[in-house]
Amino acid sequence: MPENEHHDPFEDRLTAALRDAGDGFDTDMAALTAGGQVRGRRAQLLRRTAVIGGAAGIALVGVGGALLVPGGDSSANQRPAAAAARSASASPAPARAFSGDDLLRIFKELLPAGEFSEEAAQGTDSPTLPYARVVYDDSEGKAALGISFNRMEPGSPEARELTRCPAKALVAYDDCTSSRLSDGSLLMLYRGYEYPDRRADTKRWSAELVTAAGQHVSLSEWNAPAEKGAPVSRAEPPLSTGELKEIVTADVWRRVVDAIPRDSTPSPTGAPEAPPQGAAGETIGKTLAALLPDGLTVADRGGQETEYAYLVVDDGKGRSLVQINVQPDMSDVAHQLYGSAETLPDGTLVATRKGPGEKGAEGVVMWTADTMRPDGFRVVISAFNTGAQHEDATRDAPALTVEQMREIALSPKWEELR
Amino acid sequence: MRQGRADEYAEFAAARAGHLYRSACLLTAGDTHLAEDLVQETFGRLYVRWGRVCRVGNPAGYAQTVLTRTFLAHQRRRSSRERATDVFPDLPGAVDGDAPLRLTLMAALARLPAKDRAVIVLRYWEDRSVEQTADVLNVSSAAVRTRCSRALGRLRELLGEDLAEYSRP
Repeated sequence: MPENEHHDPFEDRLTAALRDAGDGFDTDMAALTAGGQVRGRRAQLLRRTAVIGGAAGIALVGVGGALLVPGGDSSANQRPAAAAARSASASPAPARAFSGDDLLRIFKELLPAGEFSEEAAQGTDSPTLPYARVVYDDSEGKAALGISFNRMEPGSPEARELTRCPAKALVAYDDCTSSRLSDGSLLMLYRGYEYPDRRADTKRWSAELVTAAGQHVSLSEWNAPAEKGAPVSRAEPPLSTGELKEIVTADVWRRVVDAIPRDSTPSPTGAPEAPPQGAAGETIGKTLAALLPDGLTVADRGGQETEYAYLVVDDGKGRSLVQINVQPDMSDVAHQLYGSAETLPDGTLVATRKGPGEKGAEGVVMWTADTMRPDGFRVVISAFNTGAQHEDATRDAPALTVEQMREIALSPKWEELR
Repeated sequence: MRQGRADEYAEFAAARAGHLYRSACLLTAGDTHLAEDLVQETFGRLYVRWGRVCRVGNPAGYAQTVLTRTFLAHQRRRSSRERATDVFPDLPGAVDGDAPLRLTLMAALARLPAKDRAVIVLRYWEDRSVEQTADVLNVSSAAVRTRCSRALGRLRELLGEDLAEYSRP
Protein backbone atom coordinates (compact mmCIF):
# COMPACT_ATOMS: atom_id res chain seq x y z
CA MET A 1 0.00 0.00 0.00
CA PRO A 2 1.47 3.34 -0.94
CA GLU A 3 2.00 5.75 1.87
CA ASN A 4 -0.66 8.37 2.04
CA GLU A 5 -1.08 11.22 4.40
CA HIS A 6 -4.89 11.12 4.12
CA HIS A 7 -5.70 7.48 4.15
CA ASP A 8 -8.58 6.65 1.87
CA PRO A 9 -10.34 3.27 2.19
CA PHE A 10 -11.14 3.36 -1.52
CA GLU A 11 -7.42 3.08 -2.21
CA ASP A 12 -7.22 -0.10 -0.12
CA ARG A 13 -10.12 -1.57 -2.01
CA LEU A 14 -8.62 -0.54 -5.34
CA THR A 15 -5.32 -2.16 -4.40
CA ALA A 16 -7.11 -5.39 -3.53
CA ALA A 17 -9.19 -5.25 -6.71
CA LEU A 18 -6.08 -4.70 -8.87
CA ARG A 19 -4.40 -7.66 -7.15
CA ASP A 20 -7.35 -9.91 -7.80
CA ALA A 21 -7.72 -8.80 -11.39
CA GLY A 22 -4.00 -8.78 -12.16
CA ASP A 23 -3.40 -12.20 -10.70
CA GLY A 24 -6.04 -13.59 -13.03
CA PHE A 25 -3.96 -12.91 -16.15
CA ASP A 26 -1.83 -15.74 -17.37
CA THR A 27 -0.04 -16.65 -20.57
CA ASP A 28 2.85 -18.75 -21.86
CA MET A 29 5.68 -17.07 -19.96
CA ALA A 30 8.39 -19.15 -21.62
CA ALA A 31 7.22 -17.88 -25.01
CA LEU A 32 7.27 -14.32 -23.71
CA THR A 33 10.82 -14.53 -22.45
CA ALA A 34 11.99 -16.30 -25.60
CA GLY A 35 10.30 -13.65 -27.74
CA GLY A 36 11.98 -10.94 -25.70
CA GLN A 37 15.36 -12.49 -26.22
CA VAL A 38 14.82 -12.68 -29.96
CA ARG A 39 13.92 -9.01 -30.06
CA GLY A 40 16.90 -8.12 -27.94
CA ARG A 41 19.17 -10.15 -30.12
CA ARG A 42 17.77 -8.52 -33.21
CA ALA A 43 18.25 -5.06 -31.78
CA GLN A 44 21.75 -6.04 -30.81
CA LEU A 45 22.55 -7.17 -34.32
CA LEU A 46 21.33 -3.90 -35.68
CA ARG A 47 23.32 -1.96 -33.15
CA ARG A 48 26.28 -4.28 -33.39
CA THR A 49 28.90 -1.63 -33.01
CA ALA A 50 26.87 0.35 -30.54
CA VAL A 51 26.83 -2.22 -27.76
CA ILE A 52 30.54 -2.28 -27.32
CA GLY A 53 31.50 -1.61 -23.76
CA GLY A 54 27.90 -1.41 -22.72
CA ALA A 55 28.30 2.32 -22.86
CA ALA A 56 25.91 2.59 -25.76
CA GLY A 57 22.93 4.88 -25.57
CA ILE A 58 20.28 3.71 -23.17
CA ALA A 59 17.86 6.52 -23.85
CA LEU A 60 14.42 5.01 -23.62
CA VAL A 61 12.48 5.41 -26.80
CA GLY A 62 9.39 4.11 -28.53
CA VAL A 63 8.52 0.56 -29.46
CA GLY A 64 10.56 -1.22 -32.11
CA GLY A 65 11.41 1.12 -34.89
CA ALA A 66 12.35 4.03 -32.76
CA LEU A 67 14.79 1.94 -30.81
CA LEU A 68 16.52 0.68 -33.90
CA VAL A 69 16.33 3.69 -36.11
CA PRO A 70 17.43 6.92 -34.56
CA GLY A 71 15.88 9.96 -36.16
CA GLY A 72 17.63 12.87 -37.82
CA ASP A 73 21.37 12.93 -37.58
CA SER A 74 23.94 15.64 -37.71
CA SER A 75 25.69 14.01 -40.63
CA ALA A 76 22.53 13.32 -42.62
CA ASN A 77 23.64 15.86 -45.15
CA GLN A 78 26.18 13.33 -46.37
CA ARG A 79 23.29 11.36 -47.82
CA PRO A 80 23.90 10.56 -51.48
CA ALA A 81 21.75 12.74 -53.68
CA ALA A 82 20.41 9.83 -55.72
CA ALA A 83 19.12 8.04 -52.65
CA ALA A 84 17.62 11.22 -51.29
CA ALA A 85 15.76 11.86 -54.51
CA ARG A 86 14.43 8.35 -54.57
CA SER A 87 13.21 8.60 -51.04
CA ALA A 88 11.39 11.82 -51.75
CA SER A 89 9.54 10.22 -54.64
CA ALA A 90 8.73 7.02 -52.77
CA SER A 91 5.19 7.76 -51.75
CA PRO A 92 3.80 5.77 -48.85
CA ALA A 93 1.20 3.96 -50.93
CA PRO A 94 -1.02 1.69 -48.87
CA ALA A 95 0.47 -1.77 -48.98
CA ARG A 96 -1.03 -5.16 -48.34
CA ALA A 97 -0.34 -6.41 -44.84
CA PHE A 98 1.59 -9.63 -44.35
CA SER A 99 0.61 -11.90 -41.47
CA GLY A 100 3.17 -13.87 -39.51
CA ASP A 101 2.03 -16.97 -41.39
CA ASP A 102 2.56 -15.20 -44.72
CA LEU A 103 6.12 -14.37 -43.71
CA LEU A 104 6.83 -17.94 -42.64
CA ARG A 105 5.38 -19.35 -45.85
CA ILE A 106 7.40 -17.01 -48.05
CA PHE A 107 10.56 -17.55 -46.04
CA LYS A 108 10.26 -21.33 -46.27
CA GLU A 109 9.58 -21.17 -50.01
CA LEU A 110 12.80 -19.28 -50.53
CA LEU A 111 14.87 -21.79 -48.57
CA PRO A 112 16.24 -24.97 -50.10
CA ALA A 113 14.23 -28.12 -49.31
CA GLY A 114 14.47 -29.27 -45.72
CA GLU A 115 12.57 -29.90 -42.52
CA PHE A 116 11.15 -27.01 -40.52
CA SER A 117 10.31 -26.78 -36.85
CA GLU A 118 9.93 -24.21 -34.06
CA GLU A 119 8.39 -21.65 -36.36
CA ALA A 120 7.58 -18.21 -35.03
CA ALA A 121 6.69 -14.98 -36.74
CA GLN A 122 5.09 -11.61 -36.35
CA GLY A 123 3.28 -9.89 -39.20
CA THR A 124 3.39 -6.33 -40.43
CA ASP A 125 0.28 -5.27 -38.52
CA SER A 126 1.88 -5.92 -35.15
CA PRO A 127 2.83 -2.89 -33.05
CA THR A 128 6.44 -4.01 -33.21
CA LEU A 129 8.59 -4.97 -36.14
CA PRO A 130 7.85 -8.03 -38.28
CA TYR A 131 10.08 -11.10 -38.31
CA ALA A 132 10.03 -14.81 -39.05
CA ARG A 133 12.23 -17.49 -37.62
CA VAL A 134 12.45 -21.24 -38.05
CA VAL A 135 14.67 -24.13 -37.17
CA TYR A 136 15.73 -25.60 -40.48
CA ASP A 137 17.30 -28.97 -41.17
CA ASP A 138 18.70 -29.76 -44.59
CA SER A 139 19.44 -33.26 -43.18
CA GLU A 140 22.86 -32.20 -41.94
CA GLY A 141 21.71 -30.83 -38.62
CA LYS A 142 19.28 -28.32 -37.18
CA ALA A 143 20.01 -24.64 -37.62
CA ALA A 144 18.20 -21.52 -36.45
CA LEU A 145 17.35 -19.05 -39.22
CA GLY A 146 15.76 -15.68 -38.75
CA ILE A 147 14.72 -12.79 -40.93
CA SER A 148 13.52 -9.41 -39.75
CA PHE A 149 12.36 -6.21 -41.35
CA ASN A 150 12.55 -2.53 -40.72
CA ARG A 151 12.37 0.77 -42.51
CA MET A 152 14.99 3.47 -42.34
CA GLU A 153 16.01 6.71 -43.89
CA PRO A 154 17.60 5.81 -47.24
CA GLY A 155 21.25 6.71 -47.46
CA SER A 156 21.27 7.69 -43.81
CA PRO A 157 24.22 7.13 -41.49
CA GLU A 158 22.27 4.29 -39.89
CA ALA A 159 21.82 2.57 -43.25
CA ARG A 160 25.54 2.81 -43.95
CA GLU A 161 26.45 1.68 -40.48
CA LEU A 162 24.29 -1.44 -40.73
CA THR A 163 25.89 -2.50 -43.96
CA ARG A 164 29.49 -1.61 -43.16
CA CYS A 165 31.76 -4.40 -41.95
CA PRO A 166 32.62 -3.92 -38.28
CA ALA A 167 36.15 -2.91 -37.31
CA LYS A 168 38.33 -5.88 -36.44
CA ALA A 169 39.44 -4.00 -33.34
CA LEU A 170 35.93 -4.34 -32.03
CA VAL A 171 34.53 -7.66 -33.24
CA ALA A 172 36.21 -10.91 -34.22
CA TYR A 173 34.85 -12.52 -37.39
CA ASP A 174 35.97 -14.70 -40.28
CA ASP A 175 35.06 -12.59 -43.23
CA CYS A 176 32.80 -9.79 -44.26
CA THR A 177 32.07 -7.99 -47.49
CA SER A 178 30.11 -4.82 -47.99
CA SER A 179 28.97 -3.78 -51.44
CA ARG A 180 26.55 -1.64 -53.36
CA LEU A 181 24.30 -3.58 -55.70
CA SER A 182 23.29 -2.40 -59.17
CA ASP A 183 19.89 -1.23 -57.89
CA GLY A 184 21.56 1.03 -55.33
CA SER A 185 21.02 -1.28 -52.35
CA LEU A 186 23.76 -1.72 -49.77
CA LEU A 187 24.53 -5.30 -48.80
CA MET A 188 26.76 -6.69 -46.09
CA LEU A 189 27.53 -10.41 -46.01
CA TYR A 190 29.06 -11.40 -42.70
CA ARG A 191 30.49 -14.63 -41.33
CA GLY A 192 31.26 -14.43 -37.66
CA TYR A 193 30.36 -15.79 -34.29
CA GLU A 194 27.51 -15.56 -31.89
CA TYR A 195 29.96 -14.89 -29.09
CA PRO A 196 32.80 -12.56 -30.05
CA ASP A 197 35.09 -14.24 -27.51
CA ARG A 198 34.45 -17.61 -29.21
CA ARG A 199 33.74 -19.33 -25.91
CA ALA A 200 31.29 -21.49 -27.86
CA ASP A 201 31.62 -22.47 -31.49
CA THR A 202 28.27 -21.04 -32.41
CA LYS A 203 28.67 -19.31 -35.75
CA ARG A 204 26.41 -16.54 -36.91
CA TRP A 205 26.32 -15.71 -40.57
CA SER A 206 24.18 -12.89 -41.78
CA ALA A 207 23.13 -10.69 -44.63
CA GLU A 208 22.06 -7.09 -44.06
CA LEU A 209 20.33 -5.35 -46.94
CA VAL A 210 19.27 -1.72 -47.05
CA THR A 211 17.67 -0.73 -50.34
CA ALA A 212 17.83 2.68 -51.94
CA ALA A 213 14.27 3.21 -50.71
CA GLY A 214 15.28 2.47 -47.11
CA GLN A 215 13.87 -1.05 -46.84
CA HIS A 216 15.98 -2.99 -44.38
CA VAL A 217 16.03 -6.79 -44.44
CA SER A 218 18.18 -8.69 -41.98
CA LEU A 219 18.79 -12.43 -42.39
CA SER A 220 20.82 -14.52 -39.94
CA GLU A 221 21.64 -18.18 -39.58
CA TRP A 222 23.42 -20.22 -36.94
CA ASN A 223 25.01 -23.65 -36.83
CA ALA A 224 22.85 -24.49 -33.83
CA PRO A 225 19.12 -24.81 -33.33
CA ALA A 226 19.07 -21.64 -31.25
CA GLU A 227 21.07 -18.43 -31.23
CA LYS A 228 22.27 -19.03 -27.72
CA GLY A 229 22.20 -21.79 -25.17
CA ALA A 230 22.02 -24.68 -27.66
CA PRO A 231 24.96 -26.93 -28.52
CA VAL A 232 26.40 -26.63 -32.00
CA SER A 233 24.60 -29.10 -34.23
CA ARG A 234 26.71 -28.84 -37.38
CA ALA A 235 30.06 -27.46 -38.51
CA GLU A 236 28.64 -24.46 -40.34
CA PRO A 237 25.29 -22.74 -40.83
CA PRO A 238 23.38 -24.25 -43.75
CA LEU A 239 23.23 -21.38 -46.25
CA SER A 240 26.26 -20.15 -48.17
CA THR A 241 26.80 -16.41 -48.44
CA GLY A 242 25.55 -16.71 -52.03
CA GLU A 243 22.29 -18.20 -50.78
CA LEU A 244 22.03 -15.60 -48.03
CA LYS A 245 22.35 -12.92 -50.67
CA GLU A 246 19.75 -14.49 -52.91
CA ILE A 247 17.20 -14.79 -50.12
CA VAL A 248 17.77 -11.40 -48.55
CA THR A 249 17.46 -9.62 -51.89
CA ALA A 250 14.17 -11.31 -52.87
CA ASP A 251 11.78 -8.61 -54.06
CA VAL A 252 8.93 -9.78 -51.87
CA TRP A 253 10.69 -8.57 -48.73
CA ARG A 254 10.60 -5.01 -49.97
CA ARG A 255 6.82 -5.22 -50.09
CA VAL A 256 6.89 -6.55 -46.53
CA VAL A 257 8.82 -3.49 -45.37
CA ASP A 258 6.44 -1.24 -47.28
CA ALA A 259 3.56 -2.83 -45.38
CA ILE A 260 4.95 -1.81 -42.00
CA PRO A 261 2.68 1.02 -40.86
CA ARG A 262 4.36 4.36 -41.37
CA ASP A 263 3.76 5.59 -37.88
CA SER A 264 5.61 2.68 -36.30
CA THR A 265 8.90 4.14 -37.43
CA PRO A 266 10.03 7.65 -36.73
CA SER A 267 9.76 10.15 -39.52
CA PRO A 268 13.01 11.26 -41.12
CA THR A 269 12.78 14.52 -39.30
CA GLY A 270 12.56 12.73 -35.97
CA ALA A 271 9.43 11.52 -34.25
CA PRO A 272 8.74 12.69 -30.71
CA GLU A 273 10.09 9.41 -29.35
CA ALA A 274 13.22 9.49 -31.49
CA PRO A 275 16.43 9.83 -29.55
CA PRO A 276 17.95 13.27 -29.50
CA GLN A 277 20.62 14.12 -31.99
CA GLY A 278 24.14 13.25 -30.98
CA ALA A 279 27.50 14.53 -32.09
CA ALA A 280 29.24 12.86 -35.03
CA GLY A 281 31.51 9.99 -34.05
CA GLU A 282 34.32 11.44 -36.13
CA THR A 283 34.21 14.74 -34.24
CA ILE A 284 34.12 12.89 -30.94
CA GLY A 285 37.21 10.89 -31.93
CA LYS A 286 39.08 14.05 -32.96
CA THR A 287 38.21 15.85 -29.75
CA LEU A 288 39.26 12.85 -27.67
CA ALA A 289 42.57 12.59 -29.54
CA ALA A 290 43.25 16.27 -28.92
CA LEU A 291 42.64 15.86 -25.18
CA LEU A 292 44.97 12.88 -24.72
CA PRO A 293 47.98 13.43 -22.44
CA ASP A 294 51.39 13.81 -24.07
CA GLY A 295 53.30 10.68 -24.93
CA LEU A 296 50.41 8.72 -26.39
CA THR A 297 50.19 7.96 -30.08
CA VAL A 298 46.99 6.99 -31.83
CA ALA A 299 47.46 3.66 -33.62
CA ASP A 300 43.92 3.18 -34.86
CA ARG A 301 40.57 4.88 -34.64
CA GLY A 302 36.96 4.44 -35.58
CA GLY A 303 33.45 4.65 -34.24
CA GLN A 304 29.85 5.12 -35.12
CA GLU A 305 28.18 7.82 -37.08
CA THR A 306 26.98 9.39 -33.90
CA GLU A 307 27.67 9.44 -30.17
CA TYR A 308 30.48 6.89 -30.13
CA ALA A 309 34.14 6.73 -31.08
CA TYR A 310 37.17 4.71 -30.16
CA LEU A 311 40.92 5.19 -30.37
CA VAL A 312 43.61 2.57 -30.01
CA VAL A 313 46.47 4.38 -28.28
CA ASP A 314 50.03 3.37 -27.51
CA ASP A 315 52.24 4.82 -24.81
CA GLY A 316 55.23 2.69 -25.84
CA LYS A 317 54.10 -0.20 -23.66
CA GLY A 318 51.54 -1.63 -26.05
CA ARG A 319 48.14 -0.90 -27.49
CA SER A 320 45.23 0.18 -25.35
CA LEU A 321 41.66 0.60 -26.57
CA VAL A 322 39.94 3.79 -25.42
CA GLN A 323 36.27 4.23 -26.18
CA ILE A 324 33.97 7.13 -25.61
CA ASN A 325 30.28 7.92 -25.76
CA VAL A 326 29.00 11.48 -25.90
CA GLN A 327 25.24 11.46 -25.42
CA PRO A 328 22.76 14.28 -25.00
CA ASP A 329 19.65 14.12 -22.79
CA MET A 330 20.49 11.13 -20.62
CA SER A 331 19.07 12.62 -17.43
CA ASP A 332 16.20 10.13 -17.33
CA VAL A 333 18.63 7.39 -16.37
CA ALA A 334 20.93 9.50 -14.20
CA HIS A 335 19.76 7.96 -10.96
CA GLN A 336 20.52 4.52 -12.34
CA LEU A 337 23.95 5.35 -13.66
CA TYR A 338 25.22 7.57 -10.92
CA GLY A 339 23.60 6.20 -7.79
CA SER A 340 26.53 6.87 -5.51
CA ALA A 341 28.41 9.28 -7.71
CA GLU A 342 30.34 12.36 -6.75
CA THR A 343 28.54 15.63 -7.48
CA LEU A 344 30.67 18.59 -8.52
CA PRO A 345 29.78 22.13 -7.43
CA ASP A 346 28.17 22.85 -10.82
CA GLY A 347 25.92 19.77 -10.47
CA THR A 348 27.92 17.52 -12.81
CA LEU A 349 27.82 13.87 -11.72
CA VAL A 350 31.03 11.83 -11.86
CA ALA A 351 31.35 8.08 -11.35
CA THR A 352 34.51 6.05 -11.87
CA ARG A 353 34.81 2.30 -12.06
CA LYS A 354 37.48 -0.34 -12.44
CA GLY A 355 36.16 -3.68 -13.52
CA PRO A 356 36.70 -6.65 -15.79
CA GLY A 357 36.27 -6.26 -19.55
CA GLU A 358 32.90 -7.24 -20.94
CA LYS A 359 33.86 -9.59 -23.71
CA GLY A 360 35.33 -12.36 -21.60
CA ALA A 361 38.88 -12.19 -22.96
CA GLU A 362 41.65 -13.28 -20.60
CA GLY A 363 42.83 -10.72 -18.07
CA VAL A 364 41.11 -7.74 -19.67
CA VAL A 365 40.22 -4.83 -17.41
CA MET A 366 38.00 -1.89 -18.22
CA TRP A 367 38.46 1.40 -16.42
CA THR A 368 35.75 3.99 -16.78
CA ALA A 369 35.08 7.62 -16.01
CA ASP A 370 31.41 8.46 -16.47
CA THR A 371 30.19 12.05 -16.26
CA MET A 372 26.88 13.80 -16.73
CA ARG A 373 26.31 17.56 -16.87
CA PRO A 374 23.23 18.82 -15.01
CA ASP A 375 21.20 18.92 -18.25
CA GLY A 376 21.83 15.26 -19.01
CA PHE A 377 24.78 15.65 -21.39
CA ARG A 378 26.88 12.56 -20.77
CA VAL A 379 30.54 11.88 -21.55
CA VAL A 380 31.76 8.41 -20.62
CA ILE A 381 35.25 7.13 -21.38
CA SER A 382 36.55 3.60 -20.90
CA ALA A 383 40.06 2.26 -21.43
CA PHE A 384 41.26 -1.34 -21.72
CA ASN A 385 44.61 -3.10 -21.26
CA THR A 386 44.34 -4.54 -24.76
CA GLY A 387 44.00 -3.11 -28.24
CA ALA A 388 40.82 -5.06 -29.01
CA GLN A 389 38.49 -5.96 -26.22
CA HIS A 390 37.74 -9.47 -27.41
CA GLU A 391 41.49 -10.21 -27.35
CA ASP A 392 43.45 -11.16 -24.25
CA ALA A 393 45.21 -8.52 -22.17
CA THR A 394 48.53 -7.36 -23.60
CA ARG A 395 49.57 -5.10 -20.75
CA ASP A 396 48.95 -4.73 -17.02
CA ALA A 397 46.85 -1.60 -17.11
CA PRO A 398 45.16 0.64 -19.67
CA ALA A 399 47.27 3.47 -21.10
CA LEU A 400 45.09 6.06 -19.34
CA THR A 401 44.48 6.27 -15.62
CA VAL A 402 40.98 6.77 -14.28
CA GLU A 403 42.07 10.23 -13.13
CA GLN A 404 43.23 11.15 -16.64
CA MET A 405 39.96 9.94 -18.13
CA ARG A 406 38.01 11.89 -15.55
CA GLU A 407 39.87 15.02 -16.53
CA ILE A 408 39.29 14.41 -20.24
CA ALA A 409 35.57 13.70 -19.71
CA LEU A 410 35.15 16.92 -17.74
CA SER A 411 36.94 19.06 -20.32
CA PRO A 412 34.96 22.12 -21.47
CA LYS A 413 35.90 21.08 -25.02
CA TRP A 414 32.92 18.72 -25.10
CA GLU A 415 30.59 21.70 -24.83
CA GLU A 416 31.43 22.42 -28.46
CA LEU A 417 29.87 19.11 -29.50
CA ARG A 418 26.43 19.82 -28.16
CA MET B 1 26.76 -11.43 -23.57
CA ARG B 2 29.02 -13.61 -21.44
CA GLN B 3 27.62 -16.94 -20.36
CA GLY B 4 27.34 -15.89 -16.73
CA ARG B 5 25.47 -12.78 -17.74
CA ALA B 6 23.29 -14.68 -20.18
CA ASP B 7 22.32 -17.13 -17.44
CA GLU B 8 21.62 -14.28 -15.08
CA TYR B 9 19.45 -12.62 -17.69
CA ALA B 10 17.55 -15.85 -18.39
CA GLU B 11 16.97 -16.39 -14.71
CA PHE B 12 15.76 -12.85 -14.26
CA ALA B 13 13.44 -13.03 -17.25
CA ALA B 14 11.92 -16.31 -16.09
CA ALA B 15 11.39 -14.95 -12.60
CA ARG B 16 9.87 -11.62 -13.67
CA ALA B 17 7.85 -12.55 -16.76
CA GLY B 18 4.66 -13.28 -14.83
CA HIS B 19 4.68 -10.08 -12.87
CA LEU B 20 5.59 -7.92 -15.87
CA TYR B 21 2.89 -9.53 -17.96
CA ARG B 22 0.26 -8.90 -15.29
CA SER B 23 1.42 -5.27 -14.99
CA ALA B 24 1.19 -4.94 -18.76
CA CYS B 25 -2.34 -6.37 -18.74
CA LEU B 26 -3.39 -3.72 -16.24
CA LEU B 27 -1.62 -0.94 -18.15
CA THR B 28 -3.34 -1.96 -21.37
CA ALA B 29 -6.67 -2.38 -19.57
CA GLY B 30 -6.86 -6.03 -20.47
CA ASP B 31 -5.48 -5.97 -24.03
CA THR B 32 -3.53 -9.19 -23.57
CA HIS B 33 -2.05 -9.22 -27.07
CA LEU B 34 -0.62 -5.76 -26.66
CA ALA B 35 0.52 -6.75 -23.17
CA GLU B 36 2.48 -9.67 -24.59
CA ASP B 37 4.08 -7.40 -27.14
CA LEU B 38 5.03 -4.83 -24.56
CA VAL B 39 6.60 -7.44 -22.29
CA GLN B 40 8.61 -8.92 -25.13
CA GLU B 41 9.74 -5.46 -26.12
CA THR B 42 10.73 -4.80 -22.52
CA PHE B 43 12.72 -8.02 -22.32
CA GLY B 44 14.34 -7.19 -25.65
CA ARG B 45 15.55 -3.89 -24.30
CA LEU B 46 16.76 -5.39 -21.06
CA TYR B 47 18.61 -8.04 -23.03
CA VAL B 48 20.50 -5.47 -25.05
CA ARG B 49 21.64 -3.53 -22.03
CA TRP B 50 21.73 -6.29 -19.46
CA GLY B 51 25.32 -5.60 -18.43
CA ARG B 52 24.43 -2.02 -17.59
CA VAL B 53 21.15 -2.99 -15.97
CA CYS B 54 22.98 -5.36 -13.62
CA ARG B 55 25.53 -2.77 -12.68
CA VAL B 56 23.01 -0.10 -11.81
CA GLY B 57 21.13 -2.53 -9.57
CA ASN B 58 17.43 -3.25 -9.08
CA PRO B 59 16.76 -4.82 -12.48
CA ALA B 60 13.17 -5.58 -11.47
CA GLY B 61 12.45 -1.90 -10.90
CA TYR B 62 14.24 -0.99 -14.07
CA ALA B 63 12.19 -3.54 -16.03
CA GLN B 64 8.98 -2.01 -14.71
CA THR B 65 10.20 1.44 -15.75
CA VAL B 66 11.02 0.23 -19.25
CA LEU B 67 7.63 -1.48 -19.51
CA THR B 68 5.77 1.65 -18.43
CA ARG B 69 7.67 3.89 -20.81
CA THR B 70 7.31 1.44 -23.67
CA PHE B 71 3.57 1.40 -23.03
CA LEU B 72 3.35 5.19 -22.95
CA ALA B 73 5.41 5.54 -26.13
CA HIS B 74 3.07 3.11 -27.82
CA GLN B 75 0.03 5.03 -26.61
CA ARG B 76 1.49 8.34 -27.79
CA ARG B 77 1.90 6.96 -31.26
CA ARG B 78 -1.54 5.43 -31.23
CA SER B 79 -3.23 8.52 -29.91
CA SER B 80 -2.39 10.38 -33.09
CA ARG B 81 -4.81 8.03 -34.83
CA GLU B 82 -7.54 7.46 -32.32
CA ARG B 83 -8.88 8.64 -29.03
CA ALA B 84 -8.91 5.53 -26.91
CA THR B 85 -11.02 7.00 -24.16
CA ASP B 86 -13.84 7.83 -26.55
CA VAL B 87 -14.26 4.48 -28.18
CA PHE B 88 -14.60 2.04 -25.34
CA PRO B 89 -18.01 0.47 -24.91
CA ASP B 90 -20.15 0.96 -21.85
CA LEU B 91 -19.26 -0.91 -18.74
CA PRO B 92 -20.54 -4.44 -18.76
CA GLY B 93 -23.87 -4.65 -17.01
CA ALA B 94 -24.77 -8.09 -15.78
CA VAL B 95 -21.47 -9.84 -16.08
CA ASP B 96 -21.41 -13.56 -16.28
CA GLY B 97 -18.62 -16.06 -15.76
CA ASP B 98 -15.89 -16.04 -13.16
CA ALA B 99 -14.34 -12.70 -13.81
CA PRO B 100 -16.80 -9.87 -13.28
CA LEU B 101 -14.24 -7.96 -11.28
CA ARG B 102 -11.60 -8.15 -13.93
CA LEU B 103 -13.92 -7.12 -16.76
CA THR B 104 -15.43 -4.24 -14.88
CA LEU B 105 -12.12 -3.02 -13.58
CA MET B 106 -10.52 -3.28 -17.03
CA ALA B 107 -13.39 -1.37 -18.59
CA ALA B 108 -12.95 1.35 -15.98
CA LEU B 109 -9.18 1.49 -16.45
CA ALA B 110 -9.70 1.72 -20.19
CA ARG B 111 -11.57 4.95 -19.65
CA LEU B 112 -8.58 6.61 -18.04
CA PRO B 113 -5.99 8.43 -20.13
CA ALA B 114 -2.91 6.24 -20.56
CA LYS B 115 -0.73 8.26 -18.24
CA ASP B 116 -3.35 8.26 -15.49
CA ARG B 117 -3.64 4.52 -15.87
CA ALA B 118 0.13 4.23 -15.54
CA VAL B 119 -0.04 6.27 -12.33
CA ILE B 120 -2.73 3.97 -10.90
CA VAL B 121 -0.81 0.81 -11.83
CA LEU B 122 2.46 2.12 -10.42
CA ARG B 123 0.93 3.42 -7.21
CA TYR B 124 -1.57 0.68 -6.36
CA TRP B 125 -0.28 -2.40 -8.16
CA GLU B 126 3.44 -1.76 -7.95
CA ASP B 127 3.26 -0.02 -4.55
CA ARG B 128 5.48 2.79 -5.77
CA SER B 129 5.65 6.02 -3.84
CA VAL B 130 4.60 9.29 -5.46
CA GLU B 131 8.26 10.20 -5.93
CA GLN B 132 9.15 6.86 -7.50
CA THR B 133 6.15 7.12 -9.78
CA ALA B 134 7.25 10.60 -10.80
CA ASP B 135 10.71 9.23 -11.65
CA VAL B 136 9.32 6.51 -13.86
CA LEU B 137 7.04 8.90 -15.72
CA ASN B 138 9.51 11.77 -15.90
CA VAL B 139 7.08 14.18 -14.35
CA SER B 140 7.00 16.08 -11.08
CA SER B 141 5.61 14.63 -7.86
CA ALA B 142 2.92 17.28 -7.97
CA ALA B 143 1.84 16.09 -11.40
CA VAL B 144 1.63 12.53 -10.11
CA ARG B 145 -0.55 13.65 -7.18
CA THR B 146 -2.85 15.56 -9.50
CA ARG B 147 -3.19 12.67 -11.92
CA CYS B 148 -3.65 10.22 -9.11
CA SER B 149 -6.47 12.06 -7.42
CA ARG B 150 -8.16 12.71 -10.75
CA ALA B 151 -7.88 9.03 -11.70
CA LEU B 152 -9.12 7.88 -8.30
CA GLY B 153 -12.10 10.19 -8.62
CA ARG B 154 -12.92 8.83 -12.02
CA LEU B 155 -12.58 5.21 -10.88
CA ARG B 156 -14.74 5.92 -7.88
CA GLU B 157 -17.37 7.31 -10.20
CA LEU B 158 -17.14 4.32 -12.54
CA LEU B 159 -16.84 1.56 -9.99
CA GLY B 160 -18.75 2.89 -7.01
CA GLU B 161 -17.34 3.90 -3.68
CA ASP B 162 -17.22 0.52 -1.99
CA LEU B 163 -16.05 -1.66 -4.88
CA ALA B 164 -17.59 -4.39 -2.76
CA GLU B 165 -19.61 -6.07 -5.44
CA TYR B 166 -16.42 -6.63 -7.44
CA SER B 167 -14.37 -8.05 -4.62
CA ARG B 168 -13.99 -11.70 -3.97
CA PRO B 169 -15.99 -12.99 -1.03
